[in-house]
Amino acid sequence: MEKNIYIIKTQEVFDAIVVGSGIAGGWAAKELTEKGLKTLLVERGRPVEHRKDYIGEGLKAWQMPFRGSVEKALVDEQHYVQKKCYAFNDATKHFFGNDKDFPYSTPKDKPFDWIRGNQLGGKSLLWHRQSYRWSDHDFNSNARDGEGVDWPIRYKDIEQWYDKVELHAGISGSKENLEILPDSQFLPPFEMNPVEKEMKARIEKKWSTRKLIIGRTAHLSVPASHHLAQGRLQCQARNECQKGCSFGAYFSTQSSTLPSALATNNLSIATNSIVHSVIYDPKTNRATGVRVIDAETLETREYFAKVIFLCASTLGTTQIMLNSVSESFPTGIANSSGALGHYLMDHLYGAGAMGRVEGFEEDYYSGRRPIGLIMPRFRDYNEKNPNFKRGYFYMAGAQRASWEQLGTGDGFGAEFKANIRQPGPWYFNLSGSGEMLPRYENQVSLHPTLKDKWGMPQLHIECSFSDNDWKMMEDIADTAANMLEAIGLKDVKKDIRAKRDWHPGLSIHEMGTARMGKDPKTSVLNGWNQAHDVPNLFVTDGACMTSSASQNPSLTYMALTARAADYAVQQLKLGKI
Amino acid sequence: MNLPALPSGSDGVSRRAALKQLALACGLALSASSLSALAASFSAPTDFSRSKKTLLTAKQLELVRALGDIIIPATDTPGAVAAGVHDFINHYTAYCASSAEQQQLLATLARIESAAHDEFKTAFTALTNAQQLQLLNAMEQAQNGFSQADRKGLKQLKALVVFGYYTSEPGATQELAYLAIPGGYKGNFKLKEIGRAWALNF
Ligand SMILES: Cc1cc2nc3c(=O)[nH]c(=O)nc-3n(C[C@H](O)[C@H](O)[C@H](O)COP(=O)(O)OP(=O)(O)OC[C@H]3O[C@@H](n4cnc5c(N)ncnc54)[C@H](O)[C@@H]3O)c2cc1C
Ligand code: SF4
Repeated sequence: MEKNIYIIKTQEVFDAIVVGSGIAGGWAAKELTEKGLKTLLVERGRPVEHRKDYIGEGLKAWQMPFRGSVEKALVDEQHYVQKKCYAFNDATKHFFGNDKDFPYSTPKDKPFDWIRGNQLGGKSLLWHRQSYRWSDHDFNSNARDGEGVDWPIRYKDIEQWYDKVELHAGISGSKENLEILPDSQFLPPFEMNPVEKEMKARIEKKWSTRKLIIGRTAHLSVPASHHLAQGRLQCQARNECQKGCSFGAYFSTQSSTLPSALATNNLSIATNSIVHSVIYDPKTNRATGVRVIDAETLETREYFAKVIFLCASTLGTTQIMLNSVSESFPTGIANSSGALGHYLMDHLYGAGAMGRVEGFEEDYYSGRRPIGLIMPRFRDYNEKNPNFKRGYFYMAGAQRASWEQLGTGDGFGAEFKANIRQPGPWYFNLSGSGEMLPRYENQVSLHPTLKDKWGMPQLHIECSFSDNDWKMMEDIADTAANMLEAIGLKDVKKDIRAKRDWHPGLSIHEMGTARMGKDPKTSVLNGWNQAHDVPNLFVTDGACMTSSASQNPSLTYMALTARAADYAVQQLKLGKI
Repeated sequence: MNLPALPSGSDGVSRRAALKQLALACGLALSASSLSALAASFSAPTDFSRSKKTLLTAKQLELVRALGDIIIPATDTPGAVAAGVHDFINHYTAYCASSAEQQQLLATLARIESAAHDEFKTAFTALTNAQQLQLLNAMEQAQNGFSQADRKGLKQLKALVVFGYYTSEPGATQELAYLAIPGGYKGNFKLKEIGRAWALNF
C-alpha cells in the first residue's frame, strides 16, 4: 500500500467521508471512489496491511509457547470479553478489540458480549464468511406478525446489489432454487463428505420441507479471472483464516474492497482517528464533517465532506450518532423519531443437538473445510411454528472424533496412543441460528458519567433474550434431537448452551439500533439507508437493520452499502443532497 | 483448475517454491517482492521468551515426566517425553492455568505420591511399570481407596499430557498426519491413504 494515501491533518473538503473500514466501510469506500468521489476513510484503529501484518499466519501449534492459548494474566486484564469468541487465540488476538481500552457497561443481570475488531479492516479480518441472501420472507416478517416496523424495501430492491457484491467478493455455494434462501452468484461449492451426503439423503427422504445443503461462503473455491487480477488465489482449506490470509482467498477489506478503492486514486485513509461525532449545520440541515480524536495523541481535529457514510459497526455507529448532539438533535443526530439505540438484535445461537453415525469407518476427508452445511429455514415457512414467532436455520456438519475427544477416554500406554492415532466415530451435529425479535427495550444509550480513555462516553447496553427467544431455542434443540433420532443416529444429545454461558452479542450479529423504515416518526433511516432527518447522512452497517432474519447478515450489509452508495452519488449529482 | 498440494515441510525454500508453483497454476505473475512477502508471512515469528516461569519443583517435574511416559510412551513414534510434554505442562500451567487449576494439578501429583508410599512404601518413580499402571488404573476407575475427585484430578493431568503431545511437532506430524496447506478440501478421501488421523491446526 502506498504510504501517501495515509493522512492526518487536512483542510480538504472531500466528496465523501466513510467512517469505519470493516465490511461495510470497505464497500462504501470502493463504490464511492469508483464513482469518482474523493473519499476519506476514517478508522479508529491502526493500519493493517495485507500479507505484511498477518503476524499469526502460518503459525503452527508448536510454534506458539502455549499452543494457541493466551496467558491468563493477559486475558484477565485485556481480553475478558473477547476470549469468549471461538476465534480468539494466540495467533489472532491482535485483531480483536482490547476490552480494557474499550469499556462498556451493562446491567448486572443482562450481560452482553461485545466482540470487536478495531483496526483497518475491522471484523472483516475475523468473520467466518458465511454469506446468505435474505429473501422476501425475511423482508416481510415484521409486516406479517406486527413486531417492529415494516421494512421499506423488498427482495427485488436489493437483488441486483447482491449480484454485484457477490461477483466481486466471490461466494461459493450450490444452486438450489429455494425461495426461502435465494441463490447467489456462485463459485463452485465446497464438497460434502460421504456421511454428510448420507445425512442429506436420509433427511430429505423423510421431510420434503427440509433440505441439507453446503454452506455459502466468501471463499475463492475456484477464483475467477477478476479475482486473480485482484491478487487473490484459490482457498487452500486451512481454516485458519482469522490469522489473516496471504492467499487473499477469503473476502476481507484488505483482500478485496481496499485494493479496488486504492486503484482509483480517489482514496485517502486516516487511521488512529476516533470519530467523536458528526458535525451538523442547522442552516443547511446537512452533516458537514466529523470531529475526530487522535487515538495516540488525544488531539482533536475535523474532517469535512459533502456526504457522510457511517459504517463503524452497529454499536460503533450508534455510539457516534448518540454522541452527535446539537440544538436540533438533543438526543443524537437524526433521532427525531427517538428510535436511535433501540431494537438491538443478535442471532439465537447456542442451541442444537448431535449424534453418532455408525459405519463409514473407511471414509475420511482431507483438508480443513472453512464452511459447514446448513438446513435452510422451515419453521415458520413451510412448516408451522409450535408456540413462538419467527424461525431459524441450522448449521450442520459431519466429522470424525479426533484426539480432542478420544484423549478424554480411559487407559494408558501404547494402546491408549494407538486408539487416538485412528480417527474415531463419525458425529453429525445440528446447531441453530434463530431470528431474534426487534424489541424497544433491547437498547443502547450513552452512559451518563463513564468515559473511555479518549473521553468518549461509554455505551450502556441493555439487552436480553425474550420468552419468544427462549421458546425458539427449546424448539431448535428439540427439533434437532428428534430429527437425528429419526434418521438413526446413536447417543443423541441436545444442548442449550445459551442457558449457561451464551449471552446476546456472542453470535456477533448485533444489529438494528438505527433502523430503516417508511415512517420518519418511527425509524431513523429511509429505504436508501439515508437518515430521514439529515439527507446527506447514510448508515449502511448493521445499525440499519429492521429485523434480524436468521441468516448471517454481512452479505446484506455489503449489498445495502453498494446500493446506498449508488443512490448517494446520484443524489449528489442531482444537487439534492 | 487442479492445484498441486503444497508440501508441509518447514523450510522456507520449499514453501517459496510451492508458492511460486501455486501462483503459476493460477496464471498469476507474482513479483519478486510480493512473493517474498508471501513467503515471509509463512516464516513464523516464534516467541518462546514468554515461557520462563515454571509451576513445578524439580521433583514434581520428574513425576510429570514419568507420568507422561506412562500415558503416551515412545512406540514406533516418539512419546510424551521426547516431545517435551513435561516441560510444556510446567510452563503452560504457570502462565495459562487459573490458581484453582494449578492447585488441582499439584494436589493430583501429591495424591499419586502418597498413594505410592501407602501401598508400596516407595516413590512412584521407583515402582515397576506394572505397579505404576496398577495404581493409575485404580485411580482412574476411582477404586481401591481412590475417590471420584481423584479420578477427576487424574483426568485433568491426562488432558494436559494429551494436549501437550498432540500439539507438539512430533505428536502432530509423526504420530498423526499434518498438512499445513492442504490445497483444498476432499470429502471423498479414504482413510487408508494416510492410515492415521489428521492433527488439528491448534
Ligand atoms: C469470529 C467472527 C465470525 C463471524 N462470522 C460471520 C459470518 O460467518 N457471516 C457473517 O455474515 N458475519 C459474521 N461475523 C460478523 C461480521 O464480522 C460483522 O457483521 C461485520 O464485520 C460487520 O461489518 P461492519 O462494517 O458493520 O463492522 P466492522 O467490520 O466491525 O468494522 C467497523 C469498523 O469501524 C471502526 N470504528 C468503530 N468505531 C469507530 C469510531 N468511533 N471512529 C472510527 N472508526 C470506528 C472499527 O474500528 C472497525 O474497523 C463474524 C464476526 C466474528 C468476529
Ligand atoms: S482456508 Fe482458505 S481463506 Fe482461509 S486461510 Fe486458508 S486459504 Fe485462506
